[in-house]
Amino acid sequence: MPNSPPPDIVISGIGVASGLGYGKASLIEGLLAGRDVFGILARPGRQAQDGSTAFIGVELDEPPAILSPRVARTAGFGARVAMAVLDEAWREAGLDAVDPLRIGLVVGGANLFSRDYLLMAQQTAGRLAFVPPRAGHVYFDSDLGGLAASTFAIRGFVHSVGAASASGAVATMMAAEAVRSGRVDACIALGAMQDVSYLDLLGLRALGAMGSVRFGGQPGRACRPFDADHDGFLFGESCAALVLRRGCDVGAGYGTLVGAAAVADGQRGPEPDGAGQRRAILQALTQAGLTTAEIDYVNAHATSTPKGDEVEAATLRDLGLGHAWVNATKSVLGHGLSAAGAVELVALLLQMRAGMLHPTRNLDNPHEPELRYVRGEAQPHSIRHALKLSFGFGGTDVALAIRSP
Amino acid sequence: MDSDQILDLLTAEIGEVVPDLAGRSFTRAESMAELGIDSIERSEILINTLEKIGLVLPLVQLHGPRNLGELADLIHAKLAAA
Repeated sequence: MPNSPPPDIVISGIGVASGLGYGKASLIEGLLAGRDVFGILARPGRQAQDGSTAFIGVELDEPPAILSPRVARTAGFGARVAMAVLDEAWREAGLDAVDPLRIGLVVGGANLFSRDYLLMAQQTAGRLAFVPPRAGHVYFDSDLGGLAASTFAIRGFVHSVGAASASGAVATMMAAEAVRSGRVDACIALGAMQDVSYLDLLGLRALGAMGSVRFGGQPGRACRPFDADHDGFLFGESCAALVLRRGCDVGAGYGTLVGAAAVADGQRGPEPDGAGQRRAILQALTQAGLTTAEIDYVNAHATSTPKGDEVEAATLRDLGLGHAWVNATKSVLGHGLSAAGAVELVALLLQMRAGMLHPTRNLDNPHEPELRYVRGEAQPHSIRHALKLSFGFGGTDVALAIRSP
Repeated sequence: MDSDQILDLLTAEIGEVVPDLAGRSFTRAESMAELGIDSIERSEILINTLEKIGLVLPLVQLHGPRNLGELADLIHAKLAAA
């Protein structure tokens, strides 16, 4: 019997939360407007108790209530955000009509709720005999997937994958593989919200990865991917879910994932690695049967760190992607860490559908002027083939290639 | 503090942990299992109640009661012996 070609894997449902609001409509509208949502982080556990930190970033509003009060009181903020995002994607993809045994979930992100643990440590100090029993299970990475499967009818499988800031992109790739292989008929990739504490942020600052307080008086100017005055990333709460299906089952959806590669580049820490980035892009393009000349838009990883932006820009230039439009979604939303790859893939797909590209905020003086940045205003453009790049600490480089419907 | 007061504390904590049951009163004959309270919720209710009365006790020592009345009596006895 001849081998049949692998099925097209399409994205048929999307849910998203960002500083621009809950849902796809607020995301695309705010992105195209280049709206400023940066401020000083204020969620409990995000600033040192002595008031010495003042981190700039983006925080979400309270999510729509999906869980009953009885369950909601046991779920942290990031978990409640995830349920709202899953609900949007689930309903759009019509997953109630799919056999629960044929639905999977890959949660992108690990050690997601460190702010919750910090608060719990503060709340239980001096009363350790009365630590609540949920402390015994909520710290496992399986808890978020378990909550999802107890809320939505997911009975195929639930896993979580950790690849730092590339987690959402790796989750998307693994969800696609689960559908392509026939393990399930629908798989959700969740780029989970990384609910960082001030200790995490202090560590990132000490590492030299986070933006300084140079723009403390003007938070909206601090996140500057690819700009000469960039000096580090700014955290932004976000979360996204994408439902992956076979195109022959559901039609074209938002777009087709035609290539996906995640490679290890041998770095342990935050150092970017151009060779790994190039290898990931070329693997994804080969799988897609595309050349770099056919890529007309790149949604860059573009964190606003000087070294990261420089290496990524060089990667794009060296691969001959200078003709392709490039923008940096983090310039509007901040850096969602575990969620970023999934949220930015959503941004790519919504721009594809809108026929418009969003501006890169604060890109006043590109340090790599040969690239074709979208800046200033939104730009009309019909994307045909696009790349989403996502890189994570610990040396994971991901490239996803998307074909428009 | 008598057993009925401990039952009042248990009732209040049940309402906190299981909002569906908030505002209800319970008879001594009712059990948490019959009320649909799961084992993690039961542990949380017991831990919160013990904290309210300032009693440090391994939860395993509260196994055995068949209903809220027996549970209140047992906690009362433990408190008296502490």
